[in-house]
This record gives sequence, C-alpha cells and structure tokens, in this order.
Amino acid sequence: MAINRYTKMAYDSADDMIFGKCKHPVKTGLGLEIGGGYTTPEINYAPRPEAGASKEKLVKEYQRITTDIMNRMVQVGFPAVVLETEHVEQMTNNPTWGGEVAHAQKTIMEEFHDEYGIKCALRHTPGDIREDRDYLDLRGDKFTVLMESFEEIAANGADMLSLESMGGKEVFDYSILRNDVPGMLYAIGCLGTMDMDFIWQEISSVAKKHGVVSAGDTDCSEANTAMFIGGGLLDKNLAHTLAIIARAISAPRSLAAYEAGAVGPGKDCGYENTIIKAISGVPISQEGKTSTCAHSDVMGNVVMQCCDLWSNESVEYHAEFGGTSVQCWGESLAYDCALMNTATATGQEKTLRDLFMLSDKYRDPQGYVLAYDNAYRVGEAIVKDGNDIYLRAKNAALKSVEIMEEGIAGKLEMTKFEKGALADAKAALMALTDDQDTFMSDCMTKYKEEVKVFLPENYGL
Amino acid sequence: MTSLDIDPSDILVRYNVKLEKAMTPKDAAAELYPKDELYRQIAVAIFDGEEDDVIEGLEKAIAAGKNPIALIDDALMVGMKVVTDLYDQGTIFLPNVMMSADAMLDGIEFCKSQSDEAPVSKGKVVCHVAEGDVHDIGKTIVAALLRANGYEVVDLGRDVPVDEVIEAVKAEKPLMLTGTALMTTTMYAFKAVNDRLLEASLNVPFACGGGAVNQDFVSTYDLGIYGEEAADAPKIADKILAGSSISALKEEFHKH
Ligand code: B12
Repeated sequence: MAINRYTKMAYDSADDMIFGKCKHPVKTGLGLEIGGGYTTPEINYAPRPEAGASKEKLVKEYQRITTDIMNRMVQVGFPAVVLETEHVEQMTNNPTWGGEVAHAQKTIMEEFHDEYGIKCALRHTPGDIREDRDYLDLRGDKFTVLMESFEEIAANGADMLSLESMGGKEVFDYSILRNDVPGMLYAIGCLGTMDMDFIWQEISSVAKKHGVVSAGDTDCSEANTAMFIGGGLLDKNLAHTLAIIARAISAPRSLAAYEAGAVGPGKDCGYENTIIKAISGVPISQEGKTSTCAHSDVMGNVVMQCCDLWSNESVEYHAEFGGTSVQCWGESLAYDCALMNTATATGQEKTLRDLFMLSDKYRDPQGYVLAYDNAYRVGEAIVKDGNDIYLRAKNAALKSVEIMEEGIAGKLEMTKFEKGALADAKAALMALTDDQDTFMSDCMTKYKEEVKVFLPENYGL
Repeated sequence: MTSLDIDPSDILVRYNVKLEKAMTPKDAAAELYPKDELYRQIAVAIFDGEEDDVIEGLEKAIAAGKNPIALIDDALMVGMKVVTDLYDQGTIFLPNVMMSADAMLDGIEFCKSQSDEAPVSKGKVVCHVAEGDVHDIGKTIVAALLRANGYEVVDLGRDVPVDEVIEAVKAEKPLMLTGTALMTTTMYAFKAVNDRLLEASLNVPFACGGGAVNQDFVSTYDLGIYGEEAADAPKIADKILAGSSISALKEEFHKH
C-alpha cells in the first residue's frame, strides 16, 4: 500500500467537530457503524495474572469476560458495544493463541447479536513484541511473528486491527528525562513516523486480505510515557508543558497510520486523536474519566468532546460489588454514551461538547492544547507542511507553544517552572533548521553516540 | 466557535501554582553552594548540567593542588547534593537532576583518570526490572537518583531473569537490591527473588516499586520494602547505612 500524506483539513472549522460523528464513518463487526451518528462504549480488560498459565485458561478467561460484558449490555438496554482485547504477550508471541481467543470471543458476540440484535464489534491489539531484551528489533524475526499474529486474529474473528507501536522509543526514553525537545522531535516525529509508515502498510494489507478494518495506532509508548512522567499537578518529574509538546508531536506520527491505509477508529489512549480527527475525518476512540481504573490524568472530560468510541483503557478482570469489573466499567461507559447520544437526538450536542471541553480546558496545559478549538489549530500547522514529516512535527510543536503562550496571557494559570520549561522548549525549537536532511543527519550523529541502544537499521537508515 | 467560557477559579484549583515557592531555582541553589571558590565553580557547573564546565573546574582545582579523589566528595558530591535537595523540596524537576547526574558522573570519571587511588562510594546498589517486564523508565530514574546521592549502581537493565538477579547479588554484595515492575503479571518475580535470596542466606534489603506494585503485595515477603516514588530509593539506602533493620524500614516506608 502507498503512503498518502494529508495536506488539507477534513473539517472546514473546529466547530463542525462533534462526538459520535465523523467525516468517514467505519462500518464493522455485527451491524455497527462507528462515527455514523452515535457514540459507542469500547470496553477493555486484562486477564487475571493466573489466567496466563496456559492457552486453555486464557481462552476460558476471555470467554468469561466477553459473556459478562454482553450480558450486562443487554440487561441495561444498551444498543451497541465494542470490545477491545489488548494481547498479553503470550497471545502475540504464539499467534494461534491470539487467533483462538478472537474466535472464542466472536462466537459469543455472534450469539448475543443473533438473539438480541445488539450491534457489536471486536478489536484486537497485539503487543508490539518487536524487541529483544536490550534493543528494539523492528524489522527482524519478531516482526514476522507480529504479522503472523495479525493474520491469525484477522482470520479468526477480530473486526478491527490495532497496535501501540514503539518506533523511536529508545531515543525518546533518553530525551524525555533530559528536557531534550529536539530529541523528542526526532524520536516521535521522524523515527516514529518512519516506523509507522512501515508497519501500517503491512497491517493494512493484512486487513484488506481478510476483509477487516485496519483501525489505527496510538503514541502510547512516547506521548503517554511523557504524560505519566508528568503525572499530577504536584509531581515534579516532568513539566506538563513538555508533556503536551510531546503530545502535539505525536499527532503527525499517529496520523501516519491513516496515510498508510488505516481508516480508524483510532485507539483509545491516543490523546492526540482530536487533532487527527480534525485532519483526517476518521472516527476515534478516547478514554478519560472512565479510565481511572487504569491511570489518572488531568483531562477526564475534555477528551470526550469529539470521541466516537468511549473507552476505559483497561481493567483487570475481577469481582466488584456491582458485578465483575468489566461489567461495572462497561456500564459506566455505556451510560456516558447514552448521555452523548441523547444530546445528539435533542440537538444539544454542541452544548454538551463545550461543557466537556470547558470543564478541563484550564485545568492543565495539556487539556488546554487538546481542547478541540486549539487541537484544530495544531492540525492546521501539521497539514501546512504535510509532506515533510520533520517540518510538520516541528510545526505542531511550535503551534502548541504558541497556544500555551496565549493561554498564559489569558486564563490558563501556570507555575514559573512550567513557563520556564516552555520558554526553554521554544528557544530550542526556534533554533532548529527547517531542512529535514540536515536535522536527520545531525540527530543521527548525536543520538548514535549518546544512546547506546539506538540502532538506525531499525528504521531502514 | 463556542461562545461559552468560564472563570476557571469557579471549578478548579491549580494547587501547583498556589503553592509554588517564591524563590527561583537559581537563587535557591546560590544559597547552598560551597563557599570555596574552586569548589563553588564546580558545584555551579553540576547544577547547570554542563559537563565541560565541570571538567574545567576540576582541572583548575587540581592545578591549585587539590587531590582529585578528594574532589569527588568535596566538590562533585556537594554540588550534586544541592541538586537533590532542591529536587526533594520540589524546587527543581527530574530532568535537571538527570542532567546534573550525567555531568557529575563525567566528573567522577575524570577525577579517577587523574589519580591512582580508587574512590570509596557510599555503597553499592543493584537495580533491575522484573523478568518479563520491559517498562524501565522508573528503574532508570531510581538508578539516576541513587547515583546522584553518591551510591554506586549496578544496573542489570530490564526483563532480568531471577537467576541473574541472584547471581548479581552474590557477586556484587550490594547494600540494597531494587526491583521495578509495572505489570501485575511480572511483579510475582519479586517473590521468587526473595525466596531464592533467603535460600542462599542473602538477607539483603529488597526495595520494590513501579506502577503495578503495592504495599500489600510487598508486605507478603520478608526482604521486601515498598517504595512509592523513586526519591524513596536513596532515602531507604541512607537508612540502611544508618543501621535500620528491614522491619524498621517497612515500618517507615510503608505509608498506607
Ligand atoms: C510507557 C508504558 C509502556 C512503554 C514502556 C516504555 C519504557 N521504556 O518503559 C511500552 C510502550 C514499551 C509499554 C509496553 C507494554 N505495556 Co505498558 N505502559 C506504559 C504506561 C503508559 C506508563 C508507564 C511509565 O513509564 N510510567 C512512568 C514511570 C516513571 O513510572 P514507574 O515506572 O511506576 O516509576 C515510578 C514509581 O513507581 C517509582 N518506582 C519505580 N520503581 C521503583 C523502585 C523502587 C525501589 C522505588 C523506591 C520506587 C520505584 O519511581 C517512579 C517515579 O517516582 C503504563 C500505564 C500505567 N498506568 O502505568 C502502561 C502499562 C504499565 N502497560 C501495560 C501493558 C499491558 C503493556 C504491554 C503488555 C502492552 C502490549 N499489549 O504490548 C507492553 C508490555 C511489554 C512487556 N513485556 O513488558 C499495562 C500493564 C497492565 C498489567 N497487566 O498490569 C499498563 C498499566 C497500561 C494499562 N493500564 O493497561 N508500556
């Protein structure tokens, strides 16, 4: 499959973006249309650790999880649901295991669909196993196993294929702990995008062959790492102003999946997805206040603003007072979707969207930049130089800096520390060349020397 | 575009802004630098994370007759302590500590190269990420903060088999072992490490942390001490040096 870069926005204005609708809805699974006018819960789960002991135990665990979720959905009268299975490592490393789990889950979903007519679809996300103990190994033997895993799940019932790929992570891990913004730009914007181009052409071919959906990726390994290191308001491991610059840079990187044949829905933990929806018009999954079972962040409501699927990221399967964990979290998600869909049915959707957005906009620089009006502007900066993976990432970073500066002049309060980190980041970005080749070769020299585990051949360099 | 807007102070509090110290990091550091001009220059270079200036400062001090090995404690460690104290107070952030630690380590290497004596460290710590787990950023932070506090770190990396951990403890005889795990599926390796250490009568304190790990879990094995944040690692090591027993460490660091 070829790469087609985005050089135009899918939406004429930010105000046209809304939850539950997108420019290019995706039909998938059993009667489901994603982004076609309604939001749908996407429930994620992890097996209990002891279930990983054998294939039989794992399959059984996922059967229980699937049955529990489907039961709860019909018990409370929800019209549609998506299940996402993020593989535990054994399921990807043994491709047939993943396939068997997909088959077992889909069989149950089909039974519920036949009996109740509930619309549903299954997403599978293999683990990005392309690494050895010390080094990334993006194009070697592990890559072959990963692709076999995609083949197996696609052939056995998965409706949507996703991945949280790791290209650029070795340089990123080094840079993020050193406030090195050019390093982040190189890691995510350049190396990350190059690996995305590579892997998503492959995944899209598999999807095409099996008639399933090539769904999309997230910059979990980099932008979310920054978000986690940033932590809460009182943590002191990373300025949140830098975390959001990493996020802005991740948008063109995750966009590359759709340039290589993916069609959405983008994956839940990609907080960069609002920017991507603005550019590409693909449907997106998001997580926020309903993923507190998996992590805490400062953007619980704002990310709901334009979601098409609404997710809980992941919860370990176990008993709660209200049923099993997947039932409890699934029910919460589905009620949120019912509220959004009610807003749509009564013509109040833009008001609800703006309430979601405003309740977090000034909580933190991250939410401020991702508020859909600002996210749209980051998108415009990306498509302006859409054909140059370096420049568009640099544009995204600079635009996020500009947006934060406006925020400081307005209602966004920041500490001196956050402002200082922002000013340093801006200076570092302004000092950079506009020439991709110069930047790439400078970085290659620098990071080959400084990052012991950086192997350029992972990127075909 | 939306016309709705809000006065955010009605709905949220940015506690970090409210509580921020009045002093800038530079001013706060200036109060803590050593008075001796030769040492001071080195300390400032460490604070700024400038390797080249650190070496330059060391060269000057050595030319003025200072003992290279003594400079490690008198200048490099003193400069680094300014950084870690300010980090503990919340005045500066982790990346500054990392950059300063890089500069300090370069300085130590330089001092060693200028002398035949070997420096004595505060003690040795072995760090690792649990078998099957590749999440290593927390471990990298723990290792950096330990080094920043004057400990020698043997970093075994990530996804480290239990056997390898035991071998390293036997070979290195550290004053403490640390383990990081971010997955509920991998943290059980800590129990295996604990059991194997006890079998071999290696009663080394085993500080454990990382996203998935919690105090209840760590309390179930004898050598385990739960550490909530990376900054606890050097604090635990300091207490071990001061003679705390494992049960006293559990008492102090198990906060929940
Ligand atoms: C970044 C990340 C990744 C990156 C890791 C990059 C790297 N080099 O580390 C990548 C993309 C590689 C990754 C991969 C995977 N991940 Co991951 N990942 C995360 C994420 C988003 C953040 C983790 C992080 O870096 N936090 C920041 C660091 C600084 O925090 P920390 O390590 O906890 O350390 C702090 C403290 O704990 C403490 N500390 C740490 N160690 C010690 C030790 C001592 C002695 C002391 C005192 C203190 C201390 O100090 C630090 C700062 O104070 C978490 C989400 C979450 N909720 O945690 C998921 C998460 C950990 N990942 C998860 C999963 C499932 C995976 C994968 C299996 C996904 C897949 N299907 O492929 C693979 C795992 C592969 C493997 N075999 O390990 C799950 C684990 C669920 C579970 N079973 O428990 C999580 C929780 C996400 C979720 N909610 O589902 N991941």
